[in-house]
Amino acid sequence: MKTVFLNAGYFLKEVKTMIRLNLISNILTALSTGLIFFILAMIISGWWVSSHVVNVVQGEAEINVYLDESVVSTNTDVMQLVESIKGLEGARAARLVDKEEAYRKMVEILGKEASVLKNFEDNPFSSFIELKINLAEIDPVLERLNHMVGVEHVRDNRAVLDRLRNIAGLLKLVGFLVVVAVGISTLVIISHIIRLEISNNKEQINTLRLLGAPETFIAFPFLLEGLLLTLGGGILAVALAAFSVSYLYARTAGPLPFIPLPPQETLLSGITLVVMLLSAVLGIVGSFLGLSSVNGE
Amino acid sequence: MIEAKGVSLRFPNGTMALKDIDLQVEPGDMVYVTGPSGSGKTSLLKIFMGIEYPTVGSLKVLGQPMTKGQTAGIRQLRKIIGPVFQEFKLIAGRTVMENVMLGMRFLDLPQVQLKDNASNALVKVGLEHKALSLVENLSWGESQRVAIARAVARKPVLILADEPTGNLDKDNALNILELLTSFVDEKTAVVITTHATHLINAEKNSKYIRMDNGSLSWERLG
Repeated sequence: MKTVFLNAGYFLKEVKTMIRLNLISNILTALSTGLIFFILAMIISGWWVSSHVVNVVQGEAEINVYLDESVVSTNTDVMQLVESIKGLEGARAARLVDKEEAYRKMVEILGKEASVLKNFEDNPFSSFIELKINLAEIDPVLERLNHMVGVEHVRDNRAVLDRLRNIAGLLKLVGFLVVVAVGISTLVIISHIIRLEISNNKEQINTLRLLGAPETFIAFPFLLEGLLLTLGGGILAVALAAFSVSYLYARTAGPLPFIPLPPQETLLSGITLVVMLLSAVLGIVGSFLGLSSVNGE
Repeated sequence: MIEAKGVSLRFPNGTMALKDIDLQVEPGDMVYVTGPSGSGKTSLLKIFMGIEYPTVGSLKVLGQPMTKGQTAGIRQLRKIIGPVFQEFKLIAGRTVMENVMLGMRFLDLPQVQLKDNASNALVKVGLEHKALSLVENLSWGESQRVAIARAVARKPVLILADEPTGNLDKDNALNILELLTSFVDEKTAVVITTHATHLINAEKNSKYIRMDNGSLSWERLG
């Protein structure tokens, strides 16, 4: 360790010399690892965003309870029903959405297309009870609602939630596969470039051995080179990912404001941390593999 | 320092490079090894450095047995030996100063001492003005002097030099021999192979060894 510390400057200079002497190969290595890490960063972003959306949607899971107006005809009846529903196990909040509010909500949702509603002479929407629930308890809540007097039908958005959950699960699986693929490709690329460097510096290594240099001293610049190449690739990937995420956020946040995206800064710092950590680990492991594959030659 | 008893070296192709060598080198000895090309001079130095191992006999260098299983010990031993290789073994793409310092980098010396030792060694071989030149831009003779500077800069207890004057003119060769001889006063043992018998200056503690077809004969001069 003392030797490494005393020679930190020398090792960095050696790496610089090695990279300079084999410049094109090293640039291509950093570029290819950068592009591989960029794919990883984008998959992680997709996974992260979809998980966030699912969590938010799940947290705000609500079902709409439509009233049988022949049974619940007075305002008092309706308020009593709201209170009863609020008291159900698994219900978090319930409130009445009257016909006018239902109309306004639809205008908001339809946006530019809301003019279609003008074709109706009367308000076509009926009042309903908006019920926020714990998603885990959706089945018993639905069961109880269906047996309540005054409830005509219940509309839940379970299908949407299930689909979102499936997409998130799929992205998670793809994410794992991509991490494995990225890991293997990076290890192959880095160990190959290190083998190449060792081959190019065979004479130097031999001389150092004859002068009594320990193997760790000989190996350290190669290890450092692998690490710096993957970190370079990581930085490139983070830069590309930051640009792409910013672009996608700008394209999504305006036209689709109802999609609950995680804060961009949080997403980018998370991606930066994951990509840089992964590139450091893969750089070191790849270099070790390269070194151990030529050990003793 | 060096204790060889009945040492022979046979290469895998069957060639006997060294035959039944008996040799004792003490601290402060100056040993000149001469002989025609292919007589076994370089092979002798190679077994002292642990590049080759004796196939028969016993060899100890600074107490370290020189056998195949002793890799770690031999690696440690090399740290206190100053080797000068016939083909120099300088690292291309690096400066003269970097090459000289390279031999000391793993000796855990402070940076200042590292630079001082390297600078002093370059002054001794007359190459201080070339410190920042890349080694590939040096002449053959200058490269040889860099190799010698690298060996002596680490202040070794044993210098093993293979033809250190081979590519030098008479004046530079004499300077190098004088430089290597100066280490003898500090109880460093020096073993030099050379063709230049006419340059050898027999002094106290000098040993003259003649290699012929792998066999050794030696006598004390002075």
